[in-house]
Amino acid sequence: MIEFRGVNKWFGSLHVLKDINLAIKQREVVVVCGPSGSGKSTLIRCINRLERIQNGEIIVDGISLSGKKTDITKLRAEVGMVFQQFNLYPHKTALENIILAPIWVRKQSRAKALKIGKDLMAKVGIPDKLDSYPAQLSGGQQQRVAIARALAMQPKIMLFDEPTSALDPEMINEVLDVMTNLAREGMTMIVITHEMGFAHRVSTRIIFMDEGQILEDESPELFFTQPKNERTRFFLSKILTH
Amino acid sequence: MFGLFGLSYEFRWSVLWVDPHLTWLLNGLSTTLRLAAISWIIAVLLGIIFGAMRTVSFRPAHAIATVYVEFFRNVPLLVWLFFWYFGAPEVFPEFLKQWFIRHGIEFWSGVAAISIYHGSRLAEVIRSGIQAIPKTQLEAGLSSGLSVIETYRLILIPVALRLIVPPATNESLNLLKNTSLAMTIGVAELTFAARQIETYTAKAVEALTAAALIYLVLCLTISMIMNKIERKYAIPGLIARGTGAEH
Ligand SMILES: Nc1ncnc2c1ncn2[C@@H]1O[C@H](COP(=O)(O)OP(=O)(O)OP(=O)(O)O)[C@@H](O)[C@H]1O
Ligand SMILES: [Mg+2]
Repeated sequence: MIEFRGVNKWFGSLHVLKDINLAIKQREVVVVCGPSGSGKSTLIRCINRLERIQNGEIIVDGISLSGKKTDITKLRAEVGMVFQQFNLYPHKTALENIILAPIWVRKQSRAKALKIGKDLMAKVGIPDKLDSYPAQLSGGQQQRVAIARALAMQPKIMLFDEPTSALDPEMINEVLDVMTNLAREGMTMIVITHEMGFAHRVSTRIIFMDEGQILEDESPELFFTQPKNERTRFFLSKILTH
Repeated sequence: MFGLFGLSYEFRWSVLWVDPHLTWLLNGLSTTLRLAAISWIIAVLLGIIFGAMRTVSFRPAHAIATVYVEFFRNVPLLVWLFFWYFGAPEVFPEFLKQWFIRHGIEFWSGVAAISIYHGSRLAEVIRSGIQAIPKTQLEAGLSSGLSVIETYRLILIPVALRLIVPPATNESLNLLKNTSLAMTIGVAELTFAARQIETYTAKAVEALTAAALIYLVLCLTISMIMNKIERKYAIPGLIARGTGAEH
C-alpha cells in the first residue's frame, strides 16, 4: 500500500530522513515513535506530499509520488490525515467541515454528503454536535470531528500525527477508542503517538525513529520485550516510567 | 453680528436648497457614491487576488503581487489620477479610448486610479489576514484533496475576511474620502459640487459644511454597516472583536 525506497530528505543542510526503506501493507496499523525532532512528522507528511523528498521514491497505492503525471490532489483524496492541532475550519460547523471535501473533491451531492456526514458524527460518538462550531467543542470532540472529516472521503489510508498530544488526559481515550474501532474495521493506518498502551493493543507494527533513521521495525510483542537497539531501550525506559 | 475683525460674513444656508444648487449637490452625492461603490468593488477584488498571491509559495505569483502592491501604494493617489486621466488614455487602443470618451473619461479614469491604488492597500490588509491563519489550515485543505486555489477560496480567504473587518473598514472609509480628489480631473462629485456652489454664491462656509456633513454621514453609515457585518459573520465561539462578550 505504501512503499519508501531509499528516501532521503533535507531541510536546507539538515538531513531529516536518511535512506528510509519501508513497506506497509493494506490493513496494517503502524505506530511510529521516537524522540522529538527525529523526523516522524516529516516521514508521514511525505506520504501525501505535504513535504517533498530530494531522492528515492515513494509509492502509494501503486502510484509513484514523484511521477511526472501523478495527480497529487487525486492521491491526497485517498489519504486521510489527522493533525495534532485538529485543524478544523473555524468558520464552518462540524457537519460543514465534514461535507466540504466530499462535495468539492468527490463531487458528491449535498444530500448524500450530509447523510454520510451525520452517520460519521454518530460513529465518532457526537451525533448531537452537528451544528456546533469548532471553538464550541472540547479538544476531544474536535479531534473526533477531524477524524470523521477525514473518513468522509472514504480514504484507503489514514495518517495520524500525534492525534492525542494536544488533549487533556481525560479526553485521550475517547479519541483512541475511535481509532481502535477504525483499526478493527481494517483501515490501513500510520499513527505517530507516544500512547504505548494503544501501540501495544492495536498496532501490528511499531517503528522507532531517531535522527532521521528507522532504528526499529518490530511487532509490538518484540518491540516491548526485546528491543534490539540501545536507544530504543533508553527511549522506552523514559516513556514507560511516566 | 459677525463684525469681528471688520468682517461681516452673512450666513445664508438657504443657498443649499435652492435650485440649481440642490441639484448640483445631489448629483455630486450620486457621483461620489457611484465612484466609491464601483471603485470599492474592484479594489476588494484586486485586494483579495493580489493579497492571496502574496502568501503563496509559487514564486512568480508572489513576485507579480509584490510588484503590484509596492508600485501602486507608493505613489500618491493624486499622481495616479493624473496618470489615468492625462497619460493612460493616450496609449490605449483607439476603440477603448473612444469608449471611455463616450462614457465619461473623467469618471472612469477616477475609477481606475482609486480602485487600483486602494486595491494595492487592501491587498496588504488581506495578506496580513491570511498570514494570521495557521499554515496548518492550508495543509488540512490540501490533505483532503482540495487544490491550492480551492483551499484559498473555501477556507483561507473566508476566514481572513472575517479577521480583517476593522482594518478593511478603515481602508474603505479612506477610499470614500479619497474620491474627493477626483474633482481635480473634473469629476463632478460632491466636493466639486460644493466648490461650484461656492463659486456661484460666494457662500464657501455653507457649501463646504454641507459637503463635510454629507461625508460624515456616509462614513458613519459605512462604519455601522461594517460593524453589523462583523457581528453577523463573527466565528461563533471565538471572541468577537469589539464585543468582548464571550470568553
Ligand atoms: N519546514 C521545516 N523547515 C526546516 N526544518 C524543519 C521543518 N520541519 C521540520 N524541520 C526539522 O526537521 C527535523 C524533523 O522534524 P519532524 O517534525 O519530522 O520531527 P518529529 O519527529 O515529528 O518531532 P516532534 O516529536 O517534535 O513532532 C527537526 O529537526 C525539525 O526542526
Ligand atoms: Mg512531529
